[in-house]
Amino acid sequence: MLEAVHLIKRYSSVPAVQDLAFTLRPGQVLGCLGPNGSGKSTTVKMLTGLLEPTHGAVLFNGRNIRDDLPAYRKLLGYVPEEALLYPYLTGWEYLELVGSLRSMPRRAMGQRIDSLLELFSLHAHRHASIGSYSKGMRQRILLIAALMDNPEIFIFDEPLSGLDVTSALIFKHLVHALGAEGKLVFYCSHVLEVVEKVCSDVLILRKGAVIAQDSVANIPQIIGESLEDSFLRLVEDVDTVRAAQDIVAVMNAA
Amino acid sequence: MSVDLSRGIGRRWRAYRECPFARLVRLFTARIFRGSGDNDAEGLDLSIGLVLTLLALPGGFVSVILFPKYGTLLQWMRGVVNADVIATALPDEYFFIVLSMAVTGAIAVWRWDSIFPDRRDYLNLVPLPISSRTILLANFVGVMFLAVLVAVDVNAASSILLPLAVGSTQDTFVFFARFAAVHALSVVLASIFAFFAVFSVLGIFMAILPRPAFMRISPFLRTLIVVSLVTLLSTSFAVPLMLKQFSGVPRFGVSWLPPVWFLGMGMSLLGKADPHLTALGRIALPALGSAIVFAACVYSVGYRKHFVRIPELTNAVVSSDGPRWLWLRRLNELVMRDPPQRGCSRFVWKTLFRSEPHRLLLAGVGGLGLVLASQALFGAFAGGTIKSGHLSAEILSVPLILFFFVIGGLRLAFEIPVDLRANWIFRLLLDWKRHDCQAMARKLILISVAPGLLLIALPAYCWLGGWWAGILHTLVVGVWSILLTDAVLIRFRKMPFTCSLPLFQQHSIVILLLCAMGFFFFAVLMPEFEAWALPEPLRLIGLIPVAAIAWYIPHRIRQNALEIERALIFEEVPTRGFEVLSIAE
Repeated sequence: MLEAVHLIKRYSSVPAVQDLAFTLRPGQVLGCLGPNGSGKSTTVKMLTGLLEPTHGAVLFNGRNIRDDLPAYRKLLGYVPEEALLYPYLTGWEYLELVGSLRSMPRRAMGQRIDSLLELFSLHAHRHASIGSYSKGMRQRILLIAALMDNPEIFIFDEPLSGLDVTSALIFKHLVHALGAEGKLVFYCSHVLEVVEKVCSDVLILRKGAVIAQDSVANIPQIIGESLEDSFLRLVEDVDTVRAAQDIVAVMNAA
Repeated sequence: MSVDLSRGIGRRWRAYRECPFARLVRLFTARIFRGSGDNDAEGLDLSIGLVLTLLALPGGFVSVILFPKYGTLLQWMRGVVNADVIATALPDEYFFIVLSMAVTGAIAVWRWDSIFPDRRDYLNLVPLPISSRTILLANFVGVMFLAVLVAVDVNAASSILLPLAVGSTQDTFVFFARFAAVHALSVVLASIFAFFAVFSVLGIFMAILPRPAFMRISPFLRTLIVVSLVTLLSTSFAVPLMLKQFSGVPRFGVSWLPPVWFLGMGMSLLGKADPHLTALGRIALPALGSAIVFAACVYSVGYRKHFVRIPELTNAVVSSDGPRWLWLRRLNELVMRDPPQRGCSRFVWKTLFRSEPHRLLLAGVGGLGLVLASQALFGAFAGGTIKSGHLSAEILSVPLILFFFVIGGLRLAFEIPVDLRANWIFRLLLDWKRHDCQAMARKLILISVAPGLLLIALPAYCWLGGWWAGILHTLVVGVWSILLTDAVLIRFRKMPFTCSLPLFQQHSIVILLLCAMGFFFFAVLMPEFEAWALPEPLRLIGLIPVAAIAWYIPHRIRQNALEIERALIFEEVPTRGFEVLSIAE
């Protein structure tokens, strides 16, 4: 069980996350929604141990993750928001690097990399440098890197960006399957439909604070509308239809 | 009326600045400086001002050092009176020409990838209503602007300071002005020649080879050019002497050196060139014109061949672990037992072989080592010591010089970051407290030294000086390489290439001085001692206390380091003068 206990993060006294608390249980797929600047990335960085909270703690099975970060990270598969990879390494070399850093047994690592590359349709490109990969290919490399050591916890930050339709569909089913396997999945996204389809629970952030947290099925019941409308009502004070009309008006202006 | 005129000119200039062509020129000039990648992708934040300042430093620094040489008091103390000051300045003039060519040529190599419009430019500019001819011309104007700017910047300080130093012995301002003008002209034209010569060499390969073949050989070609530039720089010690020794006689080899042409041009303008130097000086301007025209030709061919066809091409460069590198992989796996260490070391090897800045840095440092080692070797040949079977200090110094530069070059390369934003994987997966980067770096350096020592130096010295001398020399070089490696890795606690690098640290000058002293001890004193000791090997025992001290100091520093001082870092934060305690928070 992964718990965020009263997490607070301030950057030079500017609050980025304020008193964030939630629990992620085995088999649960928790979606995290929020507009830009709502504290999603800061939350993810605290959950992965990349950032130390100003106050509060992240607990895994009751222990503060910072007590033994390497052991915690061995159980963690993380897909960051941006596909930042070393462009001069080939796809295979990058995955081999990740496998070595995770201390995976050499033979099993090679076999697993090959199988996953095949399943993600990257096997033919495994010896091409990452610099020549498209955005979607890089994203698939990141997904393989997160999956290859069969971790217990998954943190996905916008994992679908750049993926083609087939890969995105496979990934959505994969998230379901991971949940069914009893893994803990934290899923950050802007795409409401995806969160609605793949997540069992949802957490909505605004200005660094949780403004709603419940199962995906319950949130519209509480507010009485679809998740999209609920989200817009909760976090955005923007009339989207009106904004679109204003844009067209500006374009047509003399 | 003059106000109206200046307003009119101002208006026209502003209008011109905003026209598409001028905007494109500005875009390309900025892009060539900043690179075509994302900001900070290279890990080094080099602004245009900083780059220009760094480029101007060597010329200014060397000029200041030369002031005492031309001081009248010092000359009088040396017994030099009524000396021909221009003849005295010839070696310095040659040095500045070579320096300006080497620095400008290196800039052309370094920025080569950004000189040509790439896929990003294609995708951004071609859909706009601009003809591809305009893009071509704007880029070429940008390149010309860069060449002139770099040439002027590199030589600005020396163009004022060297004439000041040389002219300090003369009474007339005319002498200063004339010398300054000729010096500035020679070095700036030499710089521009070097820039376009490098441009032409790379451009011709780009024009004649298919893109995949060019992309494959480009790194090797650039490495070769860097080594050639370093070699050219090293000719500054020998060529002026040759010019003096063989005055009036046709100089085989020297005539082919472009810096001599520009020196000849300068000396002719000052009226101090002998007929042969005057003849060589006449080559300078046609050579410069040819270089620019040739560069323009290969540029337009390369442009047609590569830029226009970008949509049809792919940037994919397929590589694989072929049998070529299998031995390195095996050696690496043999030495690195721990899986994360093994993974990290493979990453380090691949970065060294594939990352352009690291490869160019190693080529530069290695090239300097090669030049100095070959000078020592030629010295040994000239002295006839090779034939006699006696191992002279010069011949013994060859592996020590090379290993000094290999070890120092690798240590320096470890500091240069590569795409810092991608280091998240190391931040995430390495154990900051327990991962021993120092041990890994030590093994990596020694792996790169060991094959050369055992497979080349040992047989060569056994052949030259006999079994006993060969084995002893190999042992001494091996032990000192290990000690040097330990010394350069004192307080090293980074995963190579993943930590930010402040460009100038408070102790940078101290490090430079230590490097110079280390070289003197490692590659000059040590071979001298060995040459004296090898005929009676018991004398080598004298090295043991020195080696013990050299081993003890880094060992002690490591033992005394606190746990926090050993922890892995990913950001090199400069020491601050004061700390804010933030007690109020």
